[in-house]
Amino acid sequence: MRIWVVDNGSQWTHRQWRVLRYLGQETQIVENSTPVADIAAANVDGLLLSGGGARVGLDDRLGNVGDYLDQLKVPVLGVCAGHQYMARHFGGQAAPGAAPEFGRVEMDVLDEGDILRDVPAKTVVWASHHDEVSVLPPGFKVLASSKDCPIQVMRHATRPLFGMSYHPEVEHTEHGVQMFRNFVRICEEARTND
Amino acid sequence: MAETLVFDAAGFVAEQVAAVKKQVGSRTAVIAVSGGVDSTIAAAIVHTAIGKQLHAVYVDTGFMRKGESEAVEAMYKRMGLNLTVVHAGPEYFEALGSTTEPEAKRKIIGEKFIRIFERESKKTGATVLVQGTIAPDWIESGGGKRDTIKSHHNVGGLPKDMKLELCEPLYHLYKDEVRAVARHLKVEVAERQPFPGPGLAVRVIGNLTPERVQLAREACDVVEREIEAAVAAGKMAKPWQYFAVLTNTPSVGVQGDLRAYGETVAVRAIDSLDAMTGTAVHVPYEVLGRIARGITNHPKMKDKVNRVVYDITDKPPATVEWE
Repeated sequence: MRIWVVDNGSQWTHRQWRVLRYLGQETQIVENSTPVADIAAANVDGLLLSGGGARVGLDDRLGNVGDYLDQLKVPVLGVCAGHQYMARHFGGQAAPGAAPEFGRVEMDVLDEGDILRDVPAKTVVWASHHDEVSVLPPGFKVLASSKDCPIQVMRHATRPLFGMSYHPEVEHTEHGVQMFRNFVRICEEARTND
Repeated sequence: MAETLVFDAAGFVAEQVAAVKKQVGSRTAVIAVSGGVDSTIAAAIVHTAIGKQLHAVYVDTGFMRKGESEAVEAMYKRMGLNLTVVHAGPEYFEALGSTTEPEAKRKIIGEKFIRIFERESKKTGATVLVQGTIAPDWIESGGGKRDTIKSHHNVGGLPKDMKLELCEPLYHLYKDEVRAVARHLKVEVAERQPFPGPGLAVRVIGNLTPERVQLAREACDVVEREIEAAVAAGKMAKPWQYFAVLTNTPSVGVQGDLRAYGETVAVRAIDSLDAMTGTAVHVPYEVLGRIARGITNHPKMKDKVNRVVYDITDKPPATVEWE
């Protein structure tokens, strides 16, 4: 699969590239200012929205990410700022959390929702955020939560759009690789159903 | 991660040797070597690609660890590299002056490295500068949308007017991947712990006097010896990185029935795979005790350190180093 990583300024954007490469996927990192026409022309099978620099998930436009969500039909996984932007874009809200999450977080999986298949019900994820999705967008479902961040993972009811508040791409997220494998599978299934 | 994915070291080496041959051609290149695994592997790969066209330069910045320069020189001679050693301690100290701000220190040191390499490259006629820069170096140095977490000496300090063409064969790699390459090439320093380019300059918070640098040097030596002894005795696993920091937090103590107002040393031992995330190590208390006494009671410390603390913070929110 051709799964591109949209760079919103995270420290771990390149780690997303690394995991995809290890999984044998064709990938490259693109600026979020890339016109949607270029991404469409490349016939990608999926997109990752990386996390961002400080607070960008709250009010930044994240370049052309809105166009990617509106005009492309492929599966999209938004991480951290990417997840917060996705929530805002579809009518939800992002706001500073009551407490930030840095490092180790114990997460409860409520619903596998395709993206969390084969991830244990209680799992350790690695986070780095002050802000979180505070209002779930209409039509989205919560798939996992933690004490300090109720909307850790969400998905669109029908479209293959997913958001994760933590960072599945870093070494310390216990089942991060499985989450990536799930996303690759979701991209393969979407391609087959085209 | 519950699942670990495997890196193809042999494939990577073959790919890079070809890429370096293509980039450098028949030109002369100079490589900055530090004794660390990154620059040593970069040197090994480039040496394979262009042989005698490569000149290695090791700069003793004055911020190296105890006995390090001698050991490093010996290793590169064993590897058969064309090596020049530059003793630049006084030059670095002078450039740093009374600078204490961490980013400013890193930029000054980065710039000084480049000026020295420009001088050395003129002597050899080199037009290409090879560096062992790896992914975390340029990621954490920021730029564009990415925040600068800290400037790495091989990225952040590069002056705009630099005339040397850069060759960075390890650009996309993380430390675990570099080590895989090192084991594949059977290079000595495969398991050596990472040591920052600015060296002890970022392990002395506050004024960089030769005396305080020496305190940090001795304290780092104590930490390394005690942790390595504990590892050899099976008391703990070898951490990713382990060292001491002179924190610039004075505190009151009592030494020999006299009031003391001395330095506080922080001990750091952290586990990681790739330096991008990490967890503080559970060092057995007995080992921490030996480290504390080894530092405070060390004759070379001259009673200047009367308190030792242990850093228990993961990354994030901390980083591996303190500056």
